[in-house]
Amino acid sequence: MRNFQVRSKVVNDVAVIYPKGHLDAHNVGRFEKEIVKHIGDHNFKILINGRDLNYITSAGMGVIMGYVDEVREKGGDIKLCSLNERVYEIFDLVGFTEIYDFVSDEQAAMAKFSHVLGKA
Amino acid sequence: MFSEKPEFSIAIPSQTQLLKMVVEITRHIATLYNFRPADAQKISLAVDEAITNAIKHSYDNREDQDISVEYFLEAEGLKIRLTYSGTPPDLIDHEINLCSMIKNKSKGGLGVELIRRIMDSVAYKTVDGINTCEMIKWQKRA
Repeated sequence: MRNFQVRSKVVNDVAVIYPKGHLDAHNVGRFEKEIVKHIGDHNFKILINGRDLNYITSAGMGVIMGYVDEVREKGGDIKLCSLNERVYEIFDLVGFTEIYDFVSDEQAAMAKFSHVLGKA
Repeated sequence: MFSEKPEFSIAIPSQTQLLKMVVEITRHIATLYNFRPADAQKISLAVDEAITNAIKHSYDNREDQDISVEYFLEAEGLKIRLTYSGTPPDLIDHEINLCSMIKNKSKGGLGVELIRRIMDSVAYKTVDGINTCEMIKWQKRA
Protein backbone atom coordinates (compact mmCIF):
# COMPACT_ATOMS: atom_id res chain seq x y z
CA MET A 1 0.00 0.00 0.00
CA ARG A 2 1.26 3.46 -0.86
CA ASN A 3 2.16 5.81 1.98
CA PHE A 4 0.56 8.73 0.19
CA GLN A 5 -2.37 9.09 -2.16
CA VAL A 6 -4.09 12.10 -3.61
CA ARG A 7 -7.36 12.55 -5.46
CA SER A 8 -9.47 15.56 -6.28
CA LYS A 9 -12.78 16.72 -7.66
CA VAL A 10 -14.25 20.00 -8.82
CA VAL A 11 -17.33 21.17 -6.94
CA ASN A 12 -18.93 24.16 -8.62
CA ASP A 13 -15.77 26.05 -9.49
CA VAL A 14 -13.69 24.93 -6.51
CA ALA A 15 -11.04 22.25 -6.94
CA VAL A 16 -11.07 20.11 -3.81
CA ILE A 17 -7.88 18.13 -3.28
CA TYR A 18 -7.78 15.21 -0.83
CA PRO A 19 -4.22 14.29 0.20
CA LYS A 20 -4.14 11.08 2.21
CA GLY A 21 -1.44 9.62 4.43
CA HIS A 22 2.19 10.64 4.78
CA LEU A 23 3.27 13.62 2.65
CA ASP A 24 7.04 14.06 2.54
CA ALA A 25 9.83 14.92 0.11
CA HIS A 26 9.56 11.50 -1.51
CA ASN A 27 5.98 11.79 -2.68
CA VAL A 28 5.46 15.55 -2.85
CA GLY A 29 5.63 15.45 -6.66
CA ARG A 30 2.23 13.76 -6.85
CA PHE A 31 0.69 16.43 -4.62
CA GLU A 32 2.22 19.22 -6.69
CA LYS A 33 1.04 17.61 -9.94
CA GLU A 34 -2.55 17.66 -8.67
CA ILE A 35 -2.38 21.38 -7.84
CA VAL A 36 -0.71 22.20 -11.15
CA LYS A 37 -3.38 20.23 -13.04
CA HIS A 38 -6.16 22.37 -11.56
CA ILE A 39 -4.33 25.63 -12.16
CA GLY A 40 -3.77 24.48 -15.73
CA ASP A 41 -7.53 23.92 -16.01
CA HIS A 42 -8.07 27.49 -14.74
CA ASN A 43 -9.46 26.35 -11.41
CA PHE A 44 -7.90 29.03 -9.24
CA LYS A 45 -10.04 28.33 -6.19
CA ILE A 46 -8.35 25.40 -4.52
CA LEU A 47 -9.37 23.72 -1.30
CA ILE A 48 -7.04 21.23 0.34
CA ASN A 49 -9.15 18.95 2.48
CA GLY A 50 -6.66 17.41 4.92
CA ARG A 51 -9.04 15.12 6.78
CA ASP A 52 -6.96 12.04 5.85
CA LEU A 53 -3.56 13.70 5.98
CA ASN A 54 -1.59 12.44 8.97
CA TYR A 55 1.87 13.87 8.29
CA ILE A 56 3.34 16.78 6.35
CA THR A 57 6.85 18.18 5.98
CA SER A 58 8.15 21.45 4.58
CA ALA A 59 8.14 19.82 1.13
CA GLY A 60 4.32 19.76 1.07
CA MET A 61 4.05 23.16 2.70
CA GLY A 62 6.47 24.55 0.11
CA VAL A 63 4.20 23.40 -2.71
CA ILE A 64 1.23 25.23 -1.18
CA MET A 65 3.43 28.30 -0.74
CA GLY A 66 4.70 28.14 -4.31
CA TYR A 67 1.28 28.52 -5.94
CA VAL A 68 -0.76 30.69 -3.61
CA ASP A 69 0.46 33.99 -5.04
CA GLU A 70 -0.40 32.91 -8.58
CA VAL A 71 -3.94 31.81 -7.76
CA ARG A 72 -4.60 34.89 -5.63
CA GLU A 73 -3.48 37.12 -8.50
CA LYS A 74 -6.09 35.36 -10.63
CA GLY A 75 -8.90 35.91 -8.16
CA GLY A 76 -8.64 32.56 -6.40
CA ASP A 77 -7.05 31.24 -3.26
CA ILE A 78 -5.70 28.10 -1.64
CA LYS A 79 -7.61 27.30 1.55
CA LEU A 80 -7.16 24.35 3.87
CA CYS A 81 -9.77 22.51 5.91
CA SER A 82 -10.37 19.56 8.24
CA LEU A 83 -6.75 19.15 9.37
CA ASN A 84 -6.10 17.02 12.40
CA GLU A 85 -4.57 18.75 15.40
CA ARG A 86 -1.00 17.52 14.85
CA VAL A 87 -0.86 18.50 11.20
CA TYR A 88 -2.41 21.90 11.96
CA GLU A 89 0.24 22.41 14.65
CA ILE A 90 3.02 21.94 12.09
CA PHE A 91 1.49 24.60 9.82
CA ASP A 92 1.14 26.85 12.84
CA LEU A 93 4.78 26.36 13.88
CA VAL A 94 6.07 28.24 10.84
CA GLY A 95 3.29 30.82 10.69
CA PHE A 96 1.15 29.42 7.88
CA THR A 97 -1.99 29.92 9.93
CA GLU A 98 -1.48 33.69 9.78
CA ILE A 99 -1.26 33.79 6.01
CA TYR A 100 -3.60 31.04 4.84
CA ASP A 101 -7.25 30.49 5.49
CA PHE A 102 -7.69 27.39 7.67
CA VAL A 103 -11.32 26.35 7.92
CA SER A 104 -13.03 23.73 10.07
CA ASP A 105 -14.63 21.70 7.29
CA GLU A 106 -15.34 21.52 3.57
CA GLN A 107 -18.78 23.06 3.81
CA ALA A 108 -17.46 26.11 5.65
CA ALA A 109 -14.63 26.47 3.15
CA MET A 110 -17.06 26.32 0.22
CA ALA A 111 -19.17 29.01 1.87
CA LYS A 112 -16.08 31.19 2.21
CA PHE A 113 -15.19 30.79 -1.45
CA SER A 114 -18.79 31.68 -2.38
CA HIS A 115 -18.75 34.67 -0.05
CA VAL A 116 -15.61 36.04 -1.70
CA LEU A 117 -17.38 35.82 -5.04
CA GLY A 118 -20.46 37.54 -3.66
CA LYS A 119 -22.64 34.51 -4.26
CA ALA A 120 -23.56 33.86 -0.63
CA MET B 1 25.70 15.23 29.71
CA PHE B 2 25.18 12.86 26.84
CA SER B 3 27.52 9.93 26.59
CA GLU B 4 30.03 9.74 23.75
CA LYS B 5 28.53 6.52 22.51
CA PRO B 6 25.11 6.53 20.88
CA GLU B 7 22.40 4.25 22.24
CA PHE B 8 21.12 3.61 18.73
CA SER B 9 22.48 4.33 15.29
CA ILE B 10 21.33 3.70 11.77
CA ALA B 11 23.02 4.20 8.42
CA ILE B 12 21.00 4.75 5.26
CA PRO B 13 21.70 5.54 1.63
CA SER B 14 20.62 9.02 0.57
CA GLN B 15 17.16 8.04 -0.70
CA THR B 16 13.96 9.89 0.09
CA GLN B 17 12.01 6.61 -0.01
CA LEU B 18 13.68 5.79 3.33
CA LEU B 19 12.52 8.97 5.08
CA LYS B 20 9.36 7.40 6.44
CA MET B 21 11.30 4.50 7.92
CA VAL B 22 13.65 6.88 9.77
CA VAL B 23 10.68 8.96 10.92
CA GLU B 24 9.06 5.87 12.41
CA ILE B 25 12.26 4.71 14.11
CA THR B 26 12.83 8.20 15.56
CA ARG B 27 9.27 8.47 16.78
CA HIS B 28 9.54 5.07 18.40
CA ILE B 29 12.81 5.95 20.16
CA ALA B 30 11.47 9.30 21.39
CA THR B 31 8.30 7.67 22.71
CA LEU B 32 10.33 4.95 24.41
CA TYR B 33 12.22 7.70 26.25
CA ASN B 34 9.07 9.30 27.59
CA PHE B 35 8.49 12.07 25.11
CA ARG B 36 4.77 12.66 24.67
CA PRO B 37 3.45 11.28 21.35
CA ALA B 38 2.94 14.80 19.97
CA ASP B 39 6.53 15.78 20.82
CA ALA B 40 7.87 12.48 19.48
CA GLN B 41 6.15 13.21 16.17
CA LYS B 42 7.70 16.68 16.01
CA ILE B 43 11.18 15.34 16.83
CA SER B 44 10.82 12.80 14.02
CA LEU B 45 9.74 15.61 11.68
CA ALA B 46 12.92 17.55 12.55
CA VAL B 47 14.99 14.47 11.63
CA ASP B 48 13.02 14.09 8.39
CA GLU B 49 13.74 17.72 7.48
CA ALA B 50 17.45 17.42 8.30
CA ILE B 51 17.85 14.25 6.20
CA THR B 52 15.85 15.78 3.34
CA ASN B 53 18.17 18.79 3.37
CA ALA B 54 21.22 16.53 3.29
CA ILE B 55 19.83 14.55 0.33
CA LYS B 56 18.65 17.58 -1.65
CA HIS B 57 21.34 20.13 -0.96
CA SER B 58 24.47 18.32 0.14
CA TYR B 59 24.07 15.30 -2.13
CA ASP B 60 22.14 17.04 -4.92
CA ASN B 61 19.62 14.17 -4.90
CA ARG B 62 22.25 11.48 -5.57
CA GLU B 63 20.92 8.25 -4.10
CA ASP B 64 24.17 6.36 -3.48
CA GLN B 65 25.60 8.50 -0.70
CA ASP B 66 25.70 7.76 3.03
CA ILE B 67 23.85 9.32 5.94
CA SER B 68 24.16 8.16 9.51
CA VAL B 69 21.75 8.97 12.30
CA GLU B 70 22.84 8.50 15.92
CA TYR B 71 20.63 8.79 18.98
CA PHE B 72 22.14 9.79 22.34
CA LEU B 73 19.87 9.44 25.31
CA GLU B 74 19.92 10.66 28.85
CA ALA B 75 17.29 11.22 31.48
CA GLU B 76 16.85 14.88 30.59
CA GLY B 77 16.69 14.63 26.84
CA LEU B 78 17.54 13.23 23.45
CA LYS B 79 20.38 14.26 21.16
CA ILE B 80 20.31 13.24 17.51
CA ARG B 81 23.36 13.57 15.30
CA LEU B 82 23.25 13.32 11.52
CA THR B 83 26.54 12.76 9.70
CA TYR B 84 26.95 13.09 5.95
CA SER B 85 29.41 14.44 3.41
CA GLY B 86 28.80 16.41 0.22
CA THR B 87 28.28 20.16 0.00
CA PRO B 88 28.24 21.87 3.41
CA PRO B 89 24.79 23.18 4.34
CA ASP B 90 24.18 26.81 3.41
CA LEU B 91 22.12 28.09 6.28
CA ILE B 92 20.29 31.35 6.73
CA ASP B 93 20.93 32.81 10.17
CA HIS B 94 17.67 34.71 10.50
CA GLU B 95 14.04 33.73 10.80
CA ILE B 96 12.19 33.22 7.56
CA ASN B 97 9.59 35.69 6.32
CA LEU B 98 6.72 33.73 4.79
CA CYS B 99 5.20 36.72 2.99
CA SER B 100 8.40 37.54 1.13
CA MET B 101 8.99 33.85 0.41
CA ILE B 102 5.55 33.67 -1.21
CA LYS B 103 6.23 36.82 -3.26
CA ASN B 104 9.63 35.50 -4.37
CA LYS B 105 8.30 31.98 -4.95
CA SER B 106 11.07 30.74 -2.70
CA LYS B 107 10.76 27.56 -0.68
CA GLY B 108 14.29 27.50 0.77
CA GLY B 109 14.73 27.60 4.50
CA LEU B 110 11.32 26.30 5.52
CA GLY B 111 12.69 22.94 6.66
CA VAL B 112 15.57 24.52 8.56
CA GLU B 113 13.11 26.86 10.26
CA LEU B 114 10.90 23.92 11.27
CA ILE B 115 13.91 22.18 12.82
CA ARG B 116 14.81 25.35 14.76
CA ARG B 117 11.30 25.72 16.11
CA ILE B 118 10.90 22.07 17.08
CA MET B 119 14.25 21.37 18.72
CA ASP B 120 15.77 23.17 21.72
CA SER B 121 19.16 23.45 20.07
CA VAL B 122 20.54 22.80 16.60
CA ALA B 123 24.22 22.97 15.65
CA TYR B 124 25.74 22.43 12.22
CA LYS B 125 29.44 21.78 11.70
CA THR B 126 31.65 20.84 8.77
CA VAL B 127 35.11 19.42 9.47
CA ASP B 128 37.33 17.86 6.80
CA GLY B 129 34.41 17.45 4.41
CA ILE B 130 32.17 15.75 6.98
CA ASN B 131 28.96 17.59 7.86
CA THR B 132 27.20 17.08 11.14
CA CYS B 133 23.87 18.35 12.37
CA GLU B 134 23.29 17.91 16.09
CA MET B 135 19.82 18.47 17.48
CA ILE B 136 18.79 18.33 21.12
CA LYS B 137 15.33 18.13 22.64
CA TRP B 138 15.02 18.35 26.40
CA GLN B 139 12.29 16.67 28.37
CA LYS B 140 9.65 19.04 29.68
CA ARG B 141 9.58 19.04 33.45
CA ALA B 142 6.19 18.34 35.02
